[in-house]
Amino acid sequence: MEIGEIQSHKGVIGTMVVNAEGIPIRTTLDNSTTVQYAGLLHHLTMKAKSTVRDIDPQNDLTFLRIRSKKHEIMVAPDKEYLLIVIQNPCE
Amino acid sequence: MTPGKHSGSSARTANAGAWRYRDFRGGEKGWWTTPQLVATMPVSPAGSHKQQNFRLNIATQPKKSISFFATMKATSGKGYTGANQSRMAVSKTVLIPPELKTADKTNLSIKTMQVFDINGTDVTPRPLYHPDPLTGTAKPNKLLTSQEGSLGPEFISSHSLYQNTINPSMLGQFTRSVLGSSTVSKSSVSTSESIAEDLEEPSYKRERLTSFTDLQVIRAAPEKIVTKEDREKNIEIILTETETLRFFDLPTVMVSVESEEAEKVTQRNKNYEVLCRNRLGNDLYVERMMQTFNGAPKNKDVQCDKIIMEDKGIMSTAWDLYDSYNAMELLSLSVKPSVVESSSETNVLPKDQDQRLPGSTTEKNSETSSLMDIENVILAKIHEDEEDHSDAILKSDKFHQDLFFMERVLMENIFQPKLAAYRQLPVLKEPEPEEPEDFLESATHEEVEEESKKEEEEEIHAEESTIPANLERLWSFSCDLTKGLNVSSLAWNKTNPDLLAVGYGHFGFKEQKRGLACCWSIKNPMWPERIYQSPYGVTAVDFSIGAPNLLAVGYHNGTIAIYNVRSNSNVPVLDSSESPQKHLGPVWQLQWIEQDRGTTGDDKREILVSISADGRIAKWVIRKGLDCYDLMRLKRTTTTSNRKGGEKEKKDEALISRQAPGMCFSFHPKDTNIYLAGTEEGHIHKCSCSYNEQYLNTYRGHKGPVYKVTWNPFCHDVFLSCSADWGVIIWQQENVKPFLSFYPTTSVVYDVAWSPKSSYIFAAANENRVEIWDLHISTLDPLIVNTANPGIKFTTILFAKQTDCLLVGDSDGQVSVYELRNMPTALESGRGDVIDTLLGSKSNQPA
Repeated sequence: MEIGEIQSHKGVIGTMVVNAEGIPIRTTLDNSTTVQYAGLLHHLTMKAKSTVRDIDPQNDLTFLRIRSKKHEIMVAPDKEYLLIVIQNPCE
Repeated sequence: MTPGKHSGSSARTANAGAWRYRDFRGGEKGWWTTPQLVATMPVSPAGSHKQQNFRLNIATQPKKSISFFATMKATSGKGYTGANQSRMAVSKTVLIPPELKTADKTNLSIKTMQVFDINGTDVTPRPLYHPDPLTGTAKPNKLLTSQEGSLGPEFISSHSLYQNTINPSMLGQFTRSVLGSSTVSKSSVSTSESIAEDLEEPSYKRERLTSFTDLQVIRAAPEKIVTKEDREKNIEIILTETETLRFFDLPTVMVSVESEEAEKVTQRNKNYEVLCRNRLGNDLYVERMMQTFNGAPKNKDVQCDKIIMEDKGIMSTAWDLYDSYNAMELLSLSVKPSVVESSSETNVLPKDQDQRLPGSTTEKNSETSSLMDIENVILAKIHEDEEDHSDAILKSDKFHQDLFFMERVLMENIFQPKLAAYRQLPVLKEPEPEEPEDFLESATHEEVEEESKKEEEEEIHAEESTIPANLERLWSFSCDLTKGLNVSSLAWNKTNPDLLAVGYGHFGFKEQKRGLACCWSIKNPMWPERIYQSPYGVTAVDFSIGAPNLLAVGYHNGTIAIYNVRSNSNVPVLDSSESPQKHLGPVWQLQWIEQDRGTTGDDKREILVSISADGRIAKWVIRKGLDCYDLMRLKRTTTTSNRKGGEKEKKDEALISRQAPGMCFSFHPKDTNIYLAGTEEGHIHKCSCSYNEQYLNTYRGHKGPVYKVTWNPFCHDVFLSCSADWGVIIWQQENVKPFLSFYPTTSVVYDVAWSPKSSYIFAAANENRVEIWDLHISTLDPLIVNTANPGIKFTTILFAKQTDCLLVGDSDGQVSVYELRNMPTALESGRGDVIDTLLGSKSNQPA
């Protein structure tokens, strides 16, 4: 189960792994896009996580999916990193 | 202490002359106090003129002391013009009550104080304030303090005027100490109200005190609701005298003219007056002025650095608090291990440090990890560390798990229409301009996904009448690994309906290649979840019922291996290759059976039954290893037992073995003691676990090896078999002759299966076709026929349990998932109806 495999799936536009400080560890997109995604999604993930945990502190956010007109952004958050995959689900 | 006594001690003229103090103590048993209220001390004060008019309020009445104000007010105007006079009046009033009191001693009735003037008019002043009885303890204090406050200055000035005796008594109701003086001073103020208030308080100190103590005690008791009976009860109240407490001793400044010192005092007064008159011209009294030096002031400036203020805000959220509380507990546990960790490993940072990293704005976090900070310094977080850290991230288990979920999610997106069809959910349409409605709840966890279940497709219903039933191919499980292999067996997991075990291996001896047993998940059609490789071809797979993580795999060389699918390792948990009783020929079928009773006496034991080409049906039991018992040895049945009149006995053949290779078996769904076994000879034997030597029955109908035999899940008397003689035969249990037989094509039928939804429908896979038969509609033609691509043979079929889907394995290593569309609505799977219908409509076709 490797990052490259994820990238090779149908419709996947980009895959990136960003550490907790927003620095990309691995990415298949260019740096500026990666940094932009990382920064924005980090905030959104924090907010989503805060929302989930406010409702029940013993709960935690495990996955976040944002579906837009053009594609879908999937974020798997963790304390140390963010795994972000952008996919265009319909061909 | 009675006023009388007090004055006696200090005033020295107390008991004589102008003031007559009565010693109240003598007869004061009559003072009644309410058991509940302190505040309501009977007000005894009265002016001399009032003596006749007052009625004392006996203690039983739970009235506020304030009510007594009224009485006093009337008199206040009269008596209190000057301090001295008022004082005296007060003192007089102090005297009076005892008399009255004694008179009324026995009177327990509730009376109100009323003031009448000379004419008899009722001039009872109404109280200004009605304190709440329940807060009696608090209010008096308040009153007192207010009084005190207002009287502060006056107190000092008038303090000297008052005799001690009155002071404590005035106070007695509220507190015992300093307040006495304040109340006294109050009386100096010629406000009628205040005086009245003061007067109200002065019940005699002694009584007040006693009652106070009593009442204090009683106050602590919970209030009881006074019931009617209570009110009419005679309550006995016993007052006792405390010792005399002296709170205040103010030497009097007034002297009685009749005392011994009177003359001296008078003389001194006169001297003073003379002195005052002589002051003007006297040498002794000269005005003089003095000058004091004022020190020169000096200014000093101090300048300091600007104190920088910083605002810091934090949003305290529920989870933040929760985390902080937990972190406190964890910190004490984690400090020691983390120290060890950080010193030894530079790569893997302790978890607590990492907590600090994700931009934590909470001070709490930084505090708890301050210890970690020190270690950070020690570690000297340099760039290399960062890189190592990132590697650590990528290799961590959590990351792999996240990747796993992510892949599942991607799959779901890619295969959404297909998966939706499989799960019988409405298919998500993805029009570009519009916003698609997402019926599938987005979730990565298996449990959640499995919860999002079935809705009927209305479109299908609408189209049913027009489009004939067909198989629609949804997707196929295949990957590079499986390419070119032959699918030999399929099995669902018993607890997780999304998990499928596929065995890859060739049937023929010459075509043997390496074998593969894979576990596929519906959620990921592109790559199997588990891959177990082996040098031998896999011929049979089955999941266990009791322990759903155990997968039994049978190989072409006769070995049976049991894998634990929880782990990824290629090594089986148990292996029968060492067992002395292992099979010598390919294991053609494996099945886990739960037996109600075992020969060993245990109940509900799960056993693994295998049938193989060496003619043995073996039962495997997992104890310390795989133990094998023979259930049956399939002997070759000679045709002598099947004599039909006129047939000659076949001559004895030189048999290589007396065993008949077994190809398949099937246990009865209801009675797990009975099972059917199909052999290579074409016979189907009905056997019982209790007898391992003899068959119960033999069904002869096939002329070639019977590849599959299976009971009807609804109608327990009927079973189905397929064989290499191109035929599919339906049998009835009691009848050794075939009931219905089908010879659709001239190709070997590899597999048949009943549909789990209807007792009339079954599917058959022969070499180049998959056929769905519906006996209810026609027994001559299959309902649906699906042709394979040329060169590919269909080798195995399996129905999906909850959905209308069929899995077909072929010789190219692909397992295709087909959806049965537009099937005629499944009738109530009548149990006995099947037979009756078939019997009625069909005549027995000769086998």
